[in-house]
Parts: sequence; structure tokens; C-alpha cells
Amino acid sequence: MIDPKRVLRALAEHWTLLEPLCERFDAGTLSLVELRNQLAAQLPEGTPTDVTALLDQWIRLDILVPVAKSPNRFELNAQIHDFLAYLRREHRLGLCLEIEAYLRHLERLAGYIKDAFEVRDAADLARQLRLLDMRVRDVLKKLANDEQALVAVAERAKTSDRQIPLRQRYAEVLATWDEYVEPMIQLVAADGAFEQGVYRVEHVLLRLLGEQQRLGQLVDDDLLLRTHARILEMQTTAQLTLRRARELLLPLREEARRHNAVTRGAALALAAIRKKGLDAVPQAALPLFSRPQSTFLGTASQVEAYVYALARFEPKPAQFPKAHTSRKGEAPRAPRTAREMIERCEQALPLPDLMVWLLEQEPEGATDELLYWFSRLSRDGRFQRERLERRDYLTREHQVSLSSFALIKPAGTTV
Amino acid sequence: MNIDLKELTQLAPIFRELFKGYHISRSNPELYSQLASQQDQYRGLFKALGYELTCDSRGFYYFVPEQMGAQVNKTAQRLALFTFILVEHLADQGRDPLAVLDGGSLGRDELPALLEKYRDLFLQAEVTTQEELEEKVMRRLTQLGFASEDNGIYRFLAPMHRFLDVCLSVQQDRDLAATLHSSLPLPTPVLLDEEAEDEIISLAEDDADESEEDALARAMAEERDAQEMDA
Repeated sequence: MIDPKRVLRALAEHWTLLEPLCERFDAGTLSLVELRNQLAAQLPEGTPTDVTALLDQWIRLDILVPVAKSPNRFELNAQIHDFLAYLRREHRLGLCLEIEAYLRHLERLAGYIKDAFEVRDAADLARQLRLLDMRVRDVLKKLANDEQALVAVAERAKTSDRQIPLRQRYAEVLATWDEYVEPMIQLVAADGAFEQGVYRVEHVLLRLLGEQQRLGQLVDDDLLLRTHARILEMQTTAQLTLRRARELLLPLREEARRHNAVTRGAALALAAIRKKGLDAVPQAALPLFSRPQSTFLGTASQVEAYVYALARFEPKPAQFPKAHTSRKGEAPRAPRTAREMIERCEQALPLPDLMVWLLEQEPEGATDELLYWFSRLSRDGRFQRERLERRDYLTREHQVSLSSFALIKPAGTTV
Repeated sequence: MNIDLKELTQLAPIFRELFKGYHISRSNPELYSQLASQQDQYRGLFKALGYELTCDSRGFYYFVPEQMGAQVNKTAQRLALFTFILVEHLADQGRDPLAVLDGGSLGRDELPALLEKYRDLFLQAEVTTQEELEEKVMRRLTQLGFASEDNGIYRFLAPMHRFLDVCLSVQQDRDLAATLHSSLPLPTPVLLDEEAEDEIISLAEDDADESEEDALARAMAEERDAQEMDA
């Protein structure tokens, strides 16, 4: 029999050496050589004899145990490993099946409790109640451990994003979901084994309380009430753990699914484009965006004026000039039409510089209007154009820098 | 619905940006918060003016243009192609495409490798040099509010979800997977034309516009003639 105090003292004394070893042992077993190297690295001043003494002590105290059938490989004693994991807040996710097994056991215990009460065996009843209580504590402990382990799974997935490949990063989340969360959802569902088991045990305990009042006490009511309360706590904890698991992992799982879908979609689209060209991407899928510049030209102030005018539109009677009055002075000039301008331009061909011609034609024209005509005429199919060097032009209000065009008649046309 | 213009303090800049095809997201806090707080009013006003304001719950606003004819929007195709390529490239590198395209960033120095690796695909989108990639793709992304650029770093903004949605819809498109192995042509996108790259000002030259202008000119000429006759 190993003295617990000696084990605890050794753990406390060698904590700085044991803690890094825990991480190595989390990943698997270690050979004697690996162990010695690891310890030698941590004890630069220690001689090989010191290392041997240390290992001997750990083996004697059952902290280190040889791996079955591999006497030269070692691992941490499972109990010690769990204890250290608890101290280091390193939680390993258990299995949903374990909880289910515990629940079956709880149900069996409830049966024994019922039997013990029926035969009025007070000692057995108290013993079974204590076992039930301890088993419930096991479930609570396991749920708390699993919740911490789930937090760690989510944290690992969230924090190691840039380093490890995505498939790997999400693999743990997806596996955890499939192996733990999904079965837990089934287990904790209203008609699942958990709720039903809890209901049966609760039913036995409550009936026991009632019967005790009627037939006289076999055990302290307090013990029954405490056990009952703990069962309810277990039920709530299970639901909370499940909810937390969903909160933690569902977004990551969705992200993983979305990521897979996006990557697959992109690969599919590229394959289609490689095979059938750019038009292979289904039209309905592509986003549309406004390109109003292609149908509208206006300065910022014009756009503002336009919106405000529309928004504040109020109908008012139009004042048309009277038919019988003749105009005095210079008549206000009507805006030029496209046809008019094109005709004038055609007559003036060839134009060595379209912008110069426009400035001559419309010396008083507003800059944006001139630019409109410049753009309109230079792109008209009736003219053949040649790009000129960029230079500055002076309109009435602005200095404009642009590459103008020389316009000529397209080859093969007659006057 | 009563719209109080006094409350729409950012109407002019919001309209100007949306009208240009820009996507307003949180990267533009002033306009975004104004749109978010007066969403219904803006939507109502723009609707009355004939513009459909789309409010995406992922945090961006844009105008949905009317679908016009069977023209192919090169820009949309190019940007979608770029998204596909980037997603695949990042996934190949073990990086998270969603983390990059949803709020993450990409250095300009990563573009040459991307261009080299996907030269054949970029060629289909008439992108052959890094300058063209920057001009035809990256600049368009920033102009339309899909990304912002700062010191050679492109940061992708929430509206990129529109392209990620394309990936998702392609993934769900079983027909596409099926037609990949058939010889039938796939449907072509119906999108607005894009041809402003070599022009300082771009104007439509399509027939619909032409006839509208002609019609206006005719109407004005008739009006003038009528006035002169009356006089």
C-alpha cells in the first residue's frame, strides 16, 4: 500500500517536471529514453544518476506505470493522470454513452431502493440511497468535465485558425458534434433516456417520501429530499450543458459546413468555367449592380438637385408663352438635340480636334454639357475617331484635362 | 407613408453612392448608420423614385438595378471569377477563405502569384497582367464597395457576401454539376454591360437610349415648329 501523503508530496515537489510531461503523456506513451531526454533537458545540472533516481521514485509511487506488454514504455497512472488533468483544467470529452450507462444504473438503483423499502430493510435502503446519490454526483462531475472539454474544443477551433489547415481545424468540432452533441440531444430530449430515467427515479423517491409518512420512517426524510434535489440538479445541468454545447459548437459547425459549401461551390464554378468559359456560371446566381453611369451623366450637384426636386415635387401650373404675342429681343435658345448636334458635326467633318470644335460652337456652354456632347459625339458610330494627346481645354468656368479625338468620315462613305 | 426629409440628413451622399452602384456597409459609418436608423424612410423614398434599395441583414445596402436585356456584365463575371479563384487559392493554402473574404485582408503582393497560378482562367476574363488585375478587378471591387484598399492591403467588406452567395448557389446547383459533364451550353448571365475601361466618361450607346433621345429631339423639334407656326 502506497502512502497517499508520499504520492501527494512527490507530485507537489516535482510539479515543475511533471506538468510538461503531462502534455507529452496526453499525446501518448513515452519510451524510457524519451523520458530520460525530456527530464535531462529540464534538469540541466542533473546527472544521469539523478534522472534514474527520479524515475525510480515515480515508478515506486505508481505515478508512472509501464505500458502493458511494452516494459520499456511508460505512461502516467490513469488515476493520477485524471487528477492532474483536473488540476490543469485539461478536460477530455467523455462519451455520451457513459452518461447513458450511468442513467441505466440510476434506474437499477431506484429499483433496489423500492425493493429495500418494500422489505423494510432500513440499512440496505440507506446504502442504496447513498449509492444513488454518489452516482448522481458522478454524472454531475462528468457533465461539468464535458462542458469544460467542449469549451476547449471550441477554443481550439477558434484560436488555431491561421496555423492549421481548415479541414483539420474543423475536424474536431464536427467529430465532437457527431459523437457527443448529437447523441446528447437525443438523450436529453423529452422522450429520451435521460428524462425518462430521471422521471422514474424521481417517481420512486417521491413515492417513498409519501409512504414513509404513512408507514413510518425507515430513513431520514432529509436524505431522500437531498437526493431528490440532486437529481433535479443533474437534470438541469444536463440541459444547460447541452445548451452550452450547442451555443459553442453549432456556429462553428455551421461555419464549417458553409466553408465546405463555399469552397466546393468555388471549385465547381471554376471547373465549369475551365470547361465552358466565363458564361458557365448560371446567370441567376451572379449579383447585379447598378451601373447608372452608363445611362446617365450628371455632376454631383445635378444628382442632388434631381433627388431633391423629385422628392419635393409639387405640381404647379405651367406658364406657356401666349400664342399671339411675338417675342421681343433674343429668343431663349432651346437645348440642342442629339440629332441637331450630330448633323452639325457631320457637316463640319473632318474635325482635327472635337473638343476645340465644341468650344467654338458652344463658347457659353456649361462644362458638363460640353463633356456630354464630347462623349456623345466621340462615340457615335457615324464618325471614325482618332485619339489625340491629353491636353488642357478652357471652358467658360473650368479647365478640363482630357485626351480629345480627331473625327473623320468613316472610310467608304460619300457625302 | 410620411417621409420627413429633415431626418434624412445624408440623403444626397447616400443616393449618390448607391446610384453609382456602390455598396454601403459599416466601412462607411456615417452613411451606414443613417441608413440603418432610417431604413424604411429611405426605402420608401427611393422606391417612389423607382430605385429598389436592398437591405442585407449581413450589414450592407445597395440598389438593385432593373434587369436590362440579355447583355453580359463583364464586371460581375470578372469579380465572381476572382472570388472563386481566391476561395480556391486560400483553401489550397490551408487558409480560411471565409475569414479572408468576410472582413479579412489580402496583400497586393499576393496578386502576382495568384495571376500566375490561374493565368488560363484570368485570360478568359481578359485579365493578363497585374496592372489589368488591379484595374479591372481590385479597383472595381473598391469602387463598388466590396473592398477597401489601404497601403497595398485590400480589406474585404461585408458586401462580399454577395459573391460568397454565388459560391453557395453554385454548390447547390445540381444542374451545373450535371451539365459539367454534358455538351449543352449553359445559360448566360443577363447583366448590365460594362465598358467604361478606356473611357473617361461612359455613356450608353444602346439602341434603347438612342431612340429615347431621338424621340425627345423629335418632340422638341415639333414643339418648336408648332410655336413658330403659332407665332
